[in-house]
Amino acid sequence: MDPLEVEFLAEKETVKIIPNFSLDKIYLIGGDLGPFNPGLPVDVPVWLALNLKQRQKCRIVPPEWMEVEKLEEIPFSMGLTKLLLTHASDNIPKADEIRTLVKDIWDTRIAKLRLSADSFIREQEAHAKLDNLTLMEINTIRTFLLDSLNCMYKLRSNLQQGSSKGQFSNY
Amino acid sequence: MESQSYFPVQPGVGVEENFLSLDDILLTHERLPVRTECTFPRLGFLDKSSDSQDITEGTKMELPLWLSKGLYERKRRVLSVEMPKVYREGWRTVFTADPNVVDLHKMGPYYYGLGSQLLHFDSPENPDIAQALLQTFIGRFRRTMDSSQNAYNEDTSALVERLDSLEKRLFKSGQSGLNGFQSWEKGQAAQLTASSLVLNYRKRKMMDVQS
Repeated sequence: MDPLEVEFLAEKETVKIIPNFSLDKIYLIGGDLGPFNPGLPVDVPVWLALNLKQRQKCRIVPPEWMEVEKLEEIPFSMGLTKLLLTHASDNIPKADEIRTLVKDIWDTRIAKLRLSADSFIREQEAHAKLDNLTLMEINTIRTFLLDSLNCMYKLRSNLQQGSSKGQFSNY
Repeated sequence: MESQSYFPVQPGVGVEENFLSLDDILLTHERLPVRTECTFPRLGFLDKSSDSQDITEGTKMELPLWLSKGLYERKRRVLSVEMPKVYREGWRTVFTADPNVVDLHKMGPYYYGLGSQLLHFDSPENPDIAQALLQTFIGRFRRTMDSSQNAYNEDTSALVERLDSLEKRLFKSGQSGLNGFQSWEKGQAAQLTASSLVLNYRKRKMMDVQS
């Protein structure tokens, strides 16, 4: 999967906005939006929020976790963060700090992911449960991990074949 | 979007080789030390070291994998295949001690592929060889992963030169993941430079018109 596709999927997340216009409920195939009243916060998908923001029709309320104090170890979405930071950095307090923090968290989490991938391979486990990983994280390591698991599977089936052959000739 | 337009056939790695894979075809050219178990009449010209017309029983020679695989048969013993030295006991101990120090490109470059193919020839050491292959792969996995996921925008030839052809492939797929992510992260910056170029271009045009 392309990182851009991951970003596209992140746009389905909802975010709270405060519109400065009024509009009745709009009915779309993907769901109903609104109604919008000036000053009243509503939940909308990110793609709409960004669009309105770019036309200066709303103010985006940053998600609760997007604060310097809270960005410690909660699961977060890299794609969403990047979208909000690039398009609505004026609505987010301490955007620069958050950007650094998010990058730090990303690095730590990737290092952790690699560590667990290594132990996964080392112990020759057949399956693993990857909880709390964001799509973007999975996506960066996907091709590599899949290919190496494939190779390891083949080398392992060698092992079984070798030993079963040996047993067979003993009979 | 992924702009890959060429998907090479992947090598089979295991005991079964992939008929259409170029890597596997090259792999079958690897030479194995064999010992003939019967006389090959009138083929003496193949063995330049002897003058006799036939290849006599018990001659030691090197044959490519594809030929030895074809001639090898469990019941009619035509030839017996000896292990190349990297798969023998001595080297196996080296590999299990620390797989990271070995230059698999020099040893192979089809260390895993050839090793798996060797399992065709019944040898009492087969389970050990298979085990050694797997352990070597596992031992070297971390380094392959880390180097492929960290080396961004730099010369990777030093990193891959000691890798087996199989590991090189893994390295490449790791790099594709990393590059995709990095270019996405920088995506915004790249767009800005492009637009500024276009802007400059327009300005120059306007000045041309005015002068």
